Amino acid sequence: MAASYWDSTQKKFWTFTKPQLQLVRQKLEESDRNIVSLYPLPDRRYLSIYFYHQLSKMARPLGIRQQALATAQVYVRRFYTRVEIRRTNPALLLATALYVACKMEECPQHIRMILGEARHCWADTSFTDVTIIGECEFTLISELDSQLIVHHPYRSLTELQNQFQLTQEENSLAWSIINDHYLTDLPLLHAPHVIAITAMFLAVVLKPTQGGMQGSAAGLTAAMQTLGNARNATGGAHIRVQKLVDWLAESQVDIEAVVECTQELISLYEVWESYSDKACKDQIAKFVKARGMDTRRE
Amino acid sequence: MFTGYQHKKRVHERYKIIGFISSGTYGRVYKAEGKNGRVGEFAIKKFKPDKEGEVQYTGISQSGIREMALCTELSHPHVVHTVEIILEDKSIFIVFEYAEHDLLQIIHHHNSNQRGAIPARTVKSIMHQLLQGLVYLHKSWVLHRDLKPANIMVTSAGKVKIGDLGLARLFYKPLHSLFTGDKVVVTIWYRAPELLLGSRHYTPAIDLWSVGCIFAELLQLRPIFKGEELKADPKSKAVPFQRNQMQKIVEIMGMPIKDRWPLLTSMPEYGHLSSLAAGNPRMRAPQSLEHWYETCLRNNHWPKASSPDSPGPEGLSLLQQLLEYDPQKRITAEKALLHPYFSIHGKPLESCFEESKIKYPVRTVSQDNEIRSSSLPGTKRSGIDDHSMGRPVKRLKQDG
Repeated sequence: MAASYWDSTQKKFWTFTKPQLQLVRQKLEESDRNIVSLYPLPDRRYLSIYFYHQLSKMARPLGIRQQALATAQVYVRRFYTRVEIRRTNPALLLATALYVACKMEECPQHIRMILGEARHCWADTSFTDVTIIGECEFTLISELDSQLIVHHPYRSLTELQNQFQLTQEENSLAWSIINDHYLTDLPLLHAPHVIAITAMFLAVVLKPTQGGMQGSAAGLTAAMQTLGNARNATGGAHIRVQKLVDWLAESQVDIEAVVECTQELISLYEVWESYSDKACKDQIAKFVKARGMDTRRE
Repeated sequence: MFTGYQHKKRVHERYKIIGFISSGTYGRVYKAEGKNGRVGEFAIKKFKPDKEGEVQYTGISQSGIREMALCTELSHPHVVHTVEIILEDKSIFIVFEYAEHDLLQIIHHHNSNQRGAIPARTVKSIMHQLLQGLVYLHKSWVLHRDLKPANIMVTSAGKVKIGDLGLARLFYKPLHSLFTGDKVVVTIWYRAPELLLGSRHYTPAIDLWSVGCIFAELLQLRPIFKGEELKADPKSKAVPFQRNQMQKIVEIMGMPIKDRWPLLTSMPEYGHLSSLAAGNPRMRAPQSLEHWYETCLRNNHWPKASSPDSPGPEGLSLLQQLLEYDPQKRITAEKALLHPYFSIHGKPLESCFEESKIKYPVRTVSQDNEIRSSSLPGTKRSGIDDHSMGRPVKRLKQDG
């Protein structure tokens, strides 16, 4: 949005290579080794799914749209590269991230409405008054260095949709793949247009008739093969797919990045099958309770 | 939320407050010096996160959030540079590079003691730099929405920088019409006719109208359309038709007509326009911008013909294109930079003070170096703050 993505704070400060991201997190865990070993947590993707469910639960009654939800998810992910999760009350952070995201995405919600939904959502006694969200807002914005403008792949998808004349079904599948990528580290690793291209590519290859992404491992394998063809610029696939593959091969788009995104999404859909809401909830509750963050503020 | 969370930066450890500069509803602006190895002068804008008079804390206002996000995101030689933002205790501090002057102060200086016109080359350089900043903002999908002389900073080195993004917004595909957020923007004298006529869709063209008004003011040292603002009814919050302001525009520019502005008749307040003319002879025989310009050249002893020492006929042509009624026909910032006004007598000066012997007074700084949190009364900004309008909205439209 602001300027192009290339001059954005997202590109400059919030896009990492995989090893960089790993190092950042490792440092964070090392500085809090005690609580990290005391309170083991599920796979990050499970936590992300859990967070997403909680955010959606809050957002739905308020009619908050997807883009604000996506921005909130990005804030949470960025925040947890700066602050160890076990030092926080994730429920409070999620509510606050949603509150700030709504303002930033021009669909503001009154702080009391957010508080009400948060209280309802977690049955959490610590959500006593709006001041705690207000305080957390300061912390969140400080940790994010006030860099609140997020570039999403949705806009690139709209452009691609026109260029490739995607069908309604393909477009909505691509859209939901973009929604899913917020459950992974991809928003911290790749440019939004790379995500959009990946989503479009998967949508066209997988065809929406297969009824959603989850569990269609065969289709995904086929997608990978087609992408492999793009790398070697040899063909053989369906005409439409071929057109896309040719375009990919000729464009400046980093095919390796698209492959990496595809793999990341595939493994998300694989782990998703064994997701358990309860496991996440319980493990988070443990450190929140033990550290007294649900009743006491420090 | 966090055990032992510490604010990482503290204003007083980093800056020494020298004095107070100005205030608005948002809070107060101070002049400061760097401390502990930090060199240079700074302007620190402090805004209170909470509304005065409200018992309970309600979070940072939406315009505050916008301003913080835009300030960190934007970076251009002709936009005031944001050094950092500090959130400490319950206050927000935005630290800007310091600018010794602003256009309002420069205009005032020429106005007092019969000092006469701002040198033609200075005006040209100011306009050239201002437009470069505006091209950057618009390319970045940012509408400034409050361009006026007081918001255009000038450094002691003669560099012009657009300041105060307090009302600025991103206009790329807004989730809601830009109208719903905050209905009244832009100080009334610089407000574009389409806004006066109730347009709900803001476009970059509104900033170009303001630039036109600023250009005229630099030439004449007085606001070209100095209307009286009608205050909104505090009960209904309805925005009144700004009859007097529209009248001031028509007195010079003449009545807008459908032939030149095809969408004119579909403006919400179009009906008010015809009643303006009734019983007002000046409406029927408008002065015309050409006449206004000629008078202005004559009063300033500027040659009528094209010359490096006069805004000349090119200046009029640019002004006409900036003060174009139809927002779709109004010149864009990018095109304005290519206007012959800026090229006919060589490149505009890089520093607007170059070749000028005039010494402008330094910014007045009052000795009130206590960082106070409340703003002074009667210094409200013209924009209605989002929160005061959008009480808890039960259900927002969900569109994708």
